[in-house]
Amino acid sequence: MIDDETLDRQLREAAPYIDDEGFTARVMTSLPAPQRQPRWLRAMILLGLAILGSGIAYALSGGFIRQGVIQLSNFPIWLLLVFAFGCGLVVGAFAVIFAIRKTPEVRDFTRLEL
Amino acid sequence: MELTDADLIARVLSDDDQHAFGELVRRHQSSVRGLLRQLTRTDLSLADDLAQEAFIRAYKNIRTFRGEARFSTWLYRIAYNCFREDARKRKELVGVDEELLQAEHDPQIVDPGLRHDLMHALNLLPLHERTAIVLCCQNGLSHDEAARVLDIPLGTVKTNVLRGREKLKRTLAAWGPN
Repeated sequence: MIDDETLDRQLREAAPYIDDEGFTARVMTSLPAPQRQPRWLRAMILLGLAILGSGIAYALSGGFIRQGVIQLSNFPIWLLLVFAFGCGLVVGAFAVIFAIRKTPEVRDFTRLEL
Repeated sequence: MELTDADLIARVLSDDDQHAFGELVRRHQSSVRGLLRQLTRTDLSLADDLAQEAFIRAYKNIRTFRGEARFSTWLYRIAYNCFREDARKRKELVGVDEELLQAEHDPQIVDPGLRHDLMHALNLLPLHERTAIVLCCQNGLSHDEAARVLDIPLGTVKTNVLRGREKLKRTLAAWGPN
């Protein structure tokens, strides 16, 4: 009588690889369409939330923000430019990181390089 | 470098990337269709219909895949559920009893090829033993993984594999393929 190992090997060998023969294509045509919100709607929601958040922050600050802006206007122009440039760099860096994380091709490429 | 199943699943989840899901289907279609062909006793068209249904369900529910088990194990579970639901509808969820198995032992009516004999013997096993054998011995799942796929206790899987193996050995010995 054959042993377990031989039986398992014969069972594995007896199961042939099944050629695709259009099976994957049939599955793909039967898949439901991806349910994604339109890009413009996502952008509008994000913009609306940003404006709403800014408005609430301004209303709750009790004039702090207005006074801060007045004080900023007393600063030398070069300092304001450096401050604006620094803020732009930070926001830009976050945008690049977010874009990389959302783009599969770039994500896979960076993984390959590592 | 070839993307792993986990990479492809991440693409499907983050970007609804159907091409990534297509690659997953291409990778696993053979084993899933093979399993269902065994369960349906080589009814090829039914097995392929069930496999298609299984992959569509997998796509719809891929967010519930938590990565605790292998993706193939999760697919087998969906495929087995599809088969069970279909069998319930058809009222065919019964195994072949010992009497029939013994009756089929007549070497005169069996093809002499060992592989053919083996697959024939496998098809004669009761459903629960055949399923356990196909998952554990043919597709290389551990007993624990098979228990999760079939949603039955680990001890039952071990018993079914043991009994199935013994019957296959007895059947093959009686046919005397050498």
